Amino acid sequence: MPKITIDGNELEVAEGRTILQALDDAGLLMNGIDIPHYCWHPKLPIDGSCRLCQVEVEGIPKLQIACDTPVRDGMVVHTQNERVKQAREGVMELLLVNHPLDCPICDQAGECKLQDYTYDYGVKASRTKEPRRALKKNVDLGPTIVFDQERCILCRRCVRFCREIPKTGELAIFNRGDHSVIETFPGTPLDNPYSMNVADICPVGALTTKDFRFKIRVWFLEEVPGICTGCSNGCNIHLGVANNKVYRYVPRRNDAVNDTWICDEGRMSYRRIGAPDRLRECAVRDASGRLEPVGLDRAIDAAASRLRRLIDSKGPGVIAGLASAHATNEDLFTFRRFLAALGAETHGVAVVCGEADDLLVKREKAPNAAGAREIGFRDARAVVDRIGSGGIDAVIALGHDALQEGLLSSEEALANLDTVIVLDTHASEFQRVAHVIVPVRHAAEKLGSFVNVARRVQRVVPAVESMGESYSDGEVIAKLGAALGLEGFDGSYDARQVARDLAAANPAFAGIDLDSVGDAGRPLADAAASEAER
Amino acid sequence: MVISDETRSKIEEAISKYPQKRGALLPAIHLVQADCGHVSKECAAELAEIFEILPIQVMEVVSFYNMFFDSPQAKHHVYVCTNLPCSLRGSRSLLSQLESHLGVTAPGATEDGRIFLGHEECLGACGYAPMMRVDDEYHEDLDVEKAKQILDSLGK
Ligand code: SF4
Ligand code: SF4
Ligand code: FES
Repeated sequence: MPKITIDGNELEVAEGRTILQALDDAGLLMNGIDIPHYCWHPKLPIDGSCRLCQVEVEGIPKLQIACDTPVRDGMVVHTQNERVKQAREGVMELLLVNHPLDCPICDQAGECKLQDYTYDYGVKASRTKEPRRALKKNVDLGPTIVFDQERCILCRRCVRFCREIPKTGELAIFNRGDHSVIETFPGTPLDNPYSMNVADICPVGALTTKDFRFKIRVWFLEEVPGICTGCSNGCNIHLGVANNKVYRYVPRRNDAVNDTWICDEGRMSYRRIGAPDRLRECAVRDASGRLEPVGLDRAIDAAASRLRRLIDSKGPGVIAGLASAHATNEDLFTFRRFLAALGAETHGVAVVCGEADDLLVKREKAPNAAGAREIGFRDARAVVDRIGSGGIDAVIALGHDALQEGLLSSEEALANLDTVIVLDTHASEFQRVAHVIVPVRHAAEKLGSFVNVARRVQRVVPAVESMGESYSDGEVIAKLGAALGLEGFDGSYDARQVARDLAAANPAFAGIDLDSVGDAGRPLADAAASEAER
Repeated sequence: MVISDETRSKIEEAISKYPQKRGALLPAIHLVQADCGHVSKECAAELAEIFEILPIQVMEVVSFYNMFFDSPQAKHHVYVCTNLPCSLRGSRSLLSQLESHLGVTAPGATEDGRIFLGHEECLGACGYAPMMRVDDEYHEDLDVEKAKQILDSLGK
């Protein structure tokens, strides 16, 4: 492996990488060794067009662009000397010659690389008096993106993204030299399932999403690491949070899961968190058949006495558990333990399915189908069949996935049951038939973990507090277990402790807890072993 | 189909001369423009199909070069050279007199769409300044009268 020296530090790097790639591989780029860059992006082909990344390589008379200069053994690179500094200043000055400098009304302000690099490397004053290029503002590029031609620095990231990642190629540079502009083909808008990523990779405020623009200044946002719950890929995201509200999802780089992208549908799924149909209070069906709002204790009591009555008259075999692939491993492990302690052997997990693509989007539209199966939940059809054959009197359901997937209907199968207990985030058809409803937390509101389609354990942490009353599913189940006097249930629930119990009980989770899993996640034991073999 | 069979076979012939198909895109655009007058988005789509690229990639190339047009053009293109040697020999005043003769402001086309008048940088005929290009032909050692005559003789 070639050894190179950058600013006096020796570094061993992989063959065939460029200087920027090598630094990125080593996790040093903009994290110890600062080489400003616009056009280079770790997940896009090299362009070499912005010229900002110039560095001095000993033995080569002219400065070289770090993004496209391959490393070779013994290479000595300087990234911070006077020559490099001057070159950067020159590039920045040229980029700013025509920039509208409308930062006060630009939605990128605060997370703009033109602002940042001007602050770090730019000249202090403008030397031009000429009028700036007047171009199109507020261009509607398609259903998701608005474009400001004046702010564009022509780095071509968006062009390369559309050609290389969704392979739809809607964008291109038209004209030449100082007439160059980004445009779409006439009549072909920017419209693909990953379109909004262009707003993330655009270093300036030229491309912004219709959804997020002008909602809030980004400096008010706290970026909380989390996981998208839209499908079983479990893309890593940052939740942009302020005023106890999630304003956006943006991708968080994880080369083992989603590189630097997320799909548009997943990105927009943040709206489910504060949706008007979120459940906000417990409810119990009263004698007249109406759902009456109650506190958690009364809801638990009502659920426990219904279940107790059934157990005493018919035994626990008439109780079925329906798990959700939206619940965390900790919720699910608690539920599984609960069902075992109860002696209820009919259980399964319902997973809503849809379309997949060959980029990120997976068929199962929930974050934790693999976790639920790993923890021992079978296919929900087992439950559906037993209900159909009349062997079930009570269902305890986490979520309404089974209804959504059309496995059960509130008009037929469920309507005839003696007892339906539902723990859910959002309102559903369950409202018509449930006897007890308890609102539970969205993944953005609790601590726990999911297992994605590639058997990687990934953590969510509370980014916001839920509006109204709500609990983790595991917490509610633990209380119900205690109310029923089940062995091993004292009514308390601590996700961290449950994760440790799960690791001790299930070899696949061995050695994984909610701290060690970290923000980047970790493969399950068997997945890790097969990764190591490869 | 907007690109004629004849042009298509000429394009195929051009493609056969290049190691990579895409290499023949420029000659192909020339051929299409000669055939259709300009490269419409329909032409671009058909070219894209021939070259197995995206229509927008054809348009990138069309928009890059001054001699390609993506919209209907005047019948004749007249460019007066205004680089240094021609300017020294009076091309600027030639241009402005042609402007008033045609009633246009360069760069711009006459109302009837007969002539587009513009100026161009050095066309490499400095020895015969002032000069102008009319479509694909050079007219050299010009004076105003001669130039006007040439323009008047251009058909509709
Ligand atoms: S719109 Fe943004 S990403 Fe695209 S070329 Fe311009 S600056 Fe780069
Ligand atoms: S691919 Fe799946 S996990 Fe990733 S962003 Fe889209 S919905 Fe979310
Ligand atoms: S990052 Fe190297 S030239 Fe743009």
